[in-house]
Amino acid sequence: MDVCPDVWGQLALEASQVYLTEGTGARSPFAGTTIEKLPDKVLLHIFSYLCHKEICRMARVCKKWRLIAYDTKLWKNVSLRPEISGLHVGSLESLLALISIRFGPSLRYIELPIELITHTVLHELANKCPNLTHMLLDFSTAMQLHDFSELQAFPTKLKYLCICLSEVIFMEGFMRKIYNFINGLEILHLIGTYEKVEEEEEEIYEVINVHRLKSATPNLRVINLYGINFVDDTHIDAFSSNCIQLECLAVNFCNKVTGSTLKTLFQRSRRLTCLLMNGTNLKSEHLMQVEWEKCSLQEFDITATDLSSECLQDMLTRLPGLRFLSAGQINGFNDSVLKSWVDLGNPRNLVSLDLDSSDNLSEDAIYKFLCKHGHQLWALGLSGMTHITDSLWQSILPILANAKILVMGTQERLGVNILADQLMDSIAKSCNNLERLELRWDPDNLRFSDKSQKAIDTLRVKCLKLKCLSLSDGRYYEIVKANFERADRMTVVRTLTNCRVSNYYLLSNYKDLVFN
Amino acid sequence: MPKIKLQSSDGETFDVDVEIAKCSVTIKTMLEDLGMDDEEEEVVPLPNVNSAILRKVLQWATFHKDDPPPPEDDENKEKRTDDISSWDADFLKVDQGTLFELILAANYLDIKGLLDVTCKTVANMIKGKAPEEIRKTFNIKNDFTASEEDQVRKENEWCEEK
Repeated sequence: MDVCPDVWGQLALEASQVYLTEGTGARSPFAGTTIEKLPDKVLLHIFSYLCHKEICRMARVCKKWRLIAYDTKLWKNVSLRPEISGLHVGSLESLLALISIRFGPSLRYIELPIELITHTVLHELANKCPNLTHMLLDFSTAMQLHDFSELQAFPTKLKYLCICLSEVIFMEGFMRKIYNFINGLEILHLIGTYEKVEEEEEEIYEVINVHRLKSATPNLRVINLYGINFVDDTHIDAFSSNCIQLECLAVNFCNKVTGSTLKTLFQRSRRLTCLLMNGTNLKSEHLMQVEWEKCSLQEFDITATDLSSECLQDMLTRLPGLRFLSAGQINGFNDSVLKSWVDLGNPRNLVSLDLDSSDNLSEDAIYKFLCKHGHQLWALGLSGMTHITDSLWQSILPILANAKILVMGTQERLGVNILADQLMDSIAKSCNNLERLELRWDPDNLRFSDKSQKAIDTLRVKCLKLKCLSLSDGRYYEIVKANFERADRMTVVRTLTNCRVSNYYLLSNYKDLVFN
Repeated sequence: MPKIKLQSSDGETFDVDVEIAKCSVTIKTMLEDLGMDDEEEEVVPLPNVNSAILRKVLQWATFHKDDPPPPEDDENKEKRTDDISSWDADFLKVDQGTLFELILAANYLDIKGLLDVTCKTVANMIKGKAPEEIRKTFNIKNDFTASEEDQVRKENEWCEEK
């Protein structure tokens, strides 16, 4: 082992001479080795680091490069939605040519905007792209649907289908043509217009017929209905009546959902382990009907619902083995709920807990809970609470030795200041497995000193798995960012506006749930 | 630590820690196939790598010997090129000829980490350049006829910004 540094030094010296001679103006001994000597396989590898736009430009350099740029291996995942950093295809003719010449059998995933969803395009995809398994169809900007009366073929191997709905376009003319082709679907996303909805009340149209859709898709494992204004309990009931494989159901921001059919859902879908109902209109009385003690639910999101303390207490004491709970922004979540969960329920399997903006939970109750269960947590979110400051974190961090994700702080201005250096230091010392960290505190509330660099150094060196550190834009952010960049960890530090940390990374179906 | 001898195409031999040499999958497989033990006498010939390049490759491998194995390529993940460490960036401040020789060596020796970082470097040299600039940068001859050039421009028009 002791020879190593010598060898190293000698190698470094000799190698540096290789380019010293170059620096003096002498010709490199390898001037004859041009890019044209590289085998096609290597050029392909280089091209794989370029975006599709660049690859197209490279096709114009020379014949050999054109051949490589058109290699179907570079065209496995293609987005054609220019608004969402995809490519812009000007005409249907050019898309049809591309499908057969450039994409071919390599194509696995394609995103199509409304203008390009026509029966000829879909026929071509069905005929030329036998390995297409993932497809996103964006109808969200549609003013009217194309005529699909001649649609005879559709990709048959789809496992993943994401449909972005428009508020006003009825999909049935299209859907009834594809029902026969989508039996194999395992993952279905229907994306509503939640984010685009304006204040004024508009008429709500049921633009897709869920009852017919569910009959066509008996093999669904993951269903994500996101922000769809017409989806209600009868639709959940419809899916549960036909999808025996269902493992994961997400209805986040479908505000007509009250939970009245959850009881039958759990009776039918025995495999259901993940239920995400953030921002829905759940009614306590419906949830208390569910036979929680018999279900195998592991992952549960009830953030921003109006559930009562009684209901929360009832569920948490009956759920046999919850691993993941997001229950922020619920007024009913108070100290006695937490206490009865510990005393009468089973939080021993819990690995992820998010209690964002739980103003009715006291610091003391949270502290007691974490003393008992903090060591098992991979993710903890205690954001949005003015009464939870660095003093609580300082006392619980030593317990959170297994944490991968931590979210702390509130953007509301505080009367007290947060001692950032000490906090960073404690995180670094306690949580060596940390992957994502978010500090939401207002920059004016973050107190730091000339010793900051040292604390950040410690965090950087101890938490080597840290992928994302999200901070409010301000001076402290600048300091932390500069520190990480000096150490070549360019992409770790981000602002809150660019990046929000969520416990969702820990969901077992996280990959399937990603859309857009 | 056990060592082996590597012999470059121009006949120079290098004493190298086995563990460092094994970052090359090609050498690793050779050693396994030949069933080489720790006998000093064995020399592994590398007819495709000359001594100047082999020296640089070994310098790279020595610096990176404790790196975790590079992650498998995730096809769905967008590939980044802005994550080259400053040591690697300095190491790769070489003339084009040397860079391409390093790529050829990394490809032949099957050293994924070195191949990735050298290919990223070339990708960065390509990014943002027009076809004509590319030809100038890499001294590539435009072998399209005027009409072919027109044709290939049309084929790829759709890909440009709106």
